[in-house]
Amino acid sequence: MVNEQVFREVEAFIYKEARFADESAYDDWEALWEDDALYWVPTRPDADPEVDISHIYDNRARIGTRIRQLKSGFRFSQVPPSPMRRVVSNIEIISVTGEEYEVAANFMLMELAIQSTRDMNFWGGSIVYRLRRVNGELRLFYKKIMLVDADEPVANLSFLV
Amino acid sequence: MTAKMDTVSYENLIHREKVHGSLYTDPAIFQAEMETIFHNGWVFVGHTSEVPKAGDFSRRQIGKQPVLITRDRDNNVNLLLNRCTHRGNLLCNRTNGNASTFTCPYHGWSFGVDGEMRGMPMLQAMGEGFDKAELGLAHVPRVGIHRGFIFASLASEGESFEEYLGDAKVLLDRSADLSPEGEVDLSAGWLKHRFKANWKMLPENNTDGYHVGSTHSSMLMATGSANSGAFNDEMGDPSVIRDWGGGHTELDFAPRYRMSGRPFQWFGGTRKSKLPKYMAAMEAAYGKEETEERVLAGPPHAIIFPNLFLAELNITYFYPVSTNEVIQYYTPLLLKGAPEVNKRAMRQTEGAMGPGSFLLPEDASMAERNQLGLEALTPEWMDLRRGLHREHIDEENGLLTSSVSDETTNRAFWSHYLTMMSKASSRAGSGC
Repeated sequence: MVNEQVFREVEAFIYKEARFADESAYDDWEALWEDDALYWVPTRPDADPEVDISHIYDNRARIGTRIRQLKSGFRFSQVPPSPMRRVVSNIEIISVTGEEYEVAANFMLMELAIQSTRDMNFWGGSIVYRLRRVNGELRLFYKKIMLVDADEPVANLSFLV
Repeated sequence: MTAKMDTVSYENLIHREKVHGSLYTDPAIFQAEMETIFHNGWVFVGHTSEVPKAGDFSRRQIGKQPVLITRDRDNNVNLLLNRCTHRGNLLCNRTNGNASTFTCPYHGWSFGVDGEMRGMPMLQAMGEGFDKAELGLAHVPRVGIHRGFIFASLASEGESFEEYLGDAKVLLDRSADLSPEGEVDLSAGWLKHRFKANWKMLPENNTDGYHVGSTHSSMLMATGSANSGAFNDEMGDPSVIRDWGGGHTELDFAPRYRMSGRPFQWFGGTRKSKLPKYMAAMEAAYGKEETEERVLAGPPHAIIFPNLFLAELNITYFYPVSTNEVIQYYTPLLLKGAPEVNKRAMRQTEGAMGPGSFLLPEDASMAERNQLGLEALTPEWMDLRRGLHREHIDEENGLLTSSVSDETTNRAFWSHYLTMMSKASSRAGSGC
């Protein structure tokens, strides 16, 4: 579907996004997003966001609010930020439309709730990314995270997932 | 009753101005609460809009006990214990859906959504004269419904539904009266949030106006509403807290909204012109003057004891798990006949409620930190005296009322809790 060089470029972008999230590098992470962004954590694979409530359904403005809150120093559920490491794998390019790439992946994330319980939370699921090439650079305009346990009771999700 | 339960003297642990830390940590108290409050008292279970069609079902719990809300072919809403009457198998393991029958996978016994037994394989072994009616699913003994909100009690006798809800039923009315059809719709599904904290911190916190300025300061900063004076009675916020009796409490923002003179302060300050169809439908249903009043005052922010939180345009409830764990659920309060409102209400709920939102993660963290701090046994007491000197009966409604940063609502919760728990405790004692 794409040549090796493009695949490696997509893969490198995904790893970079994961690193920014793991390290709560808020400005770097926010800067990856396009203006028509959607950052979405539904509760079911077949959810319709107009009918079914989502954990997170952020457009670009709301991503900005999320980052401002995290950077305020008073987002107590992330003071200090959760130590995290995630593995992103099973990367497949699903479709290519002009300079836009739809990419699927799986992830596993270890998150330490250091702010309160110090529980090690184990998160995992699938991700769909939509990337767009703008002036030669890849940019993110869609990230849908389908947690395996999205419809079960979960701990705080106030870090960057 | 257990001997342990008899040893707890709630009168000694709960005073007007302070409560004892062990109320949040003692496993014997937790067991007694489950029995007295959740299994013998009235609790919120769900809403009729969650099972709109015949055959619809939704799984719930009453305290620890698994139940099913179903709607049968006669349009009755049933509350059934989710347990096969044969060997106790969890009959239905789906969260919700539509079914004509529930068939137990263990031996194949089947039941109608009305709870009646439909059949079993190889019936002859049951002997002559066996009547299938004997083995229908157990029904929850008492169910009360107001404006579609379903409450239940697993006790066949006791305080009536009307006595339980008392005057607080007008709070449910205020939610439903924001719909031009007079009905709410809780069909958007539920977010589920795990708190490693005692359940009582939830109803206490939810009508506590005092924590907002500190706990939620980051939200106020990020949305540009910090330093507005909201939630600060010393800076002139006229919002009030109320004791509705029966453990039902309210944090009423309507006085602040009225002071602003602008409608929809509870809905992002939207202008009426942005919701033309909603305004027209409301005025057609209730008249212009009444509509103006409703969109100014907004939905209630109130606790219906013990586990329902009318959180403005959100509905929240919870299940206790143990002394230090509780699961809280959230869904948007959708209004029938108001698609313009509902579209935005979904996004408003996602912003405010749930584990990924801008508000509730802080409440969860604070509850968890309370629970961790309570491991320290000194001081023994938690101070609850704020506003004791200034709370007063509001002549307009006869309710104990105070300023937004006071603890009248916490005291109202504990006062009712004490009534329920000490009554049960003395019953247990008298049998010995």
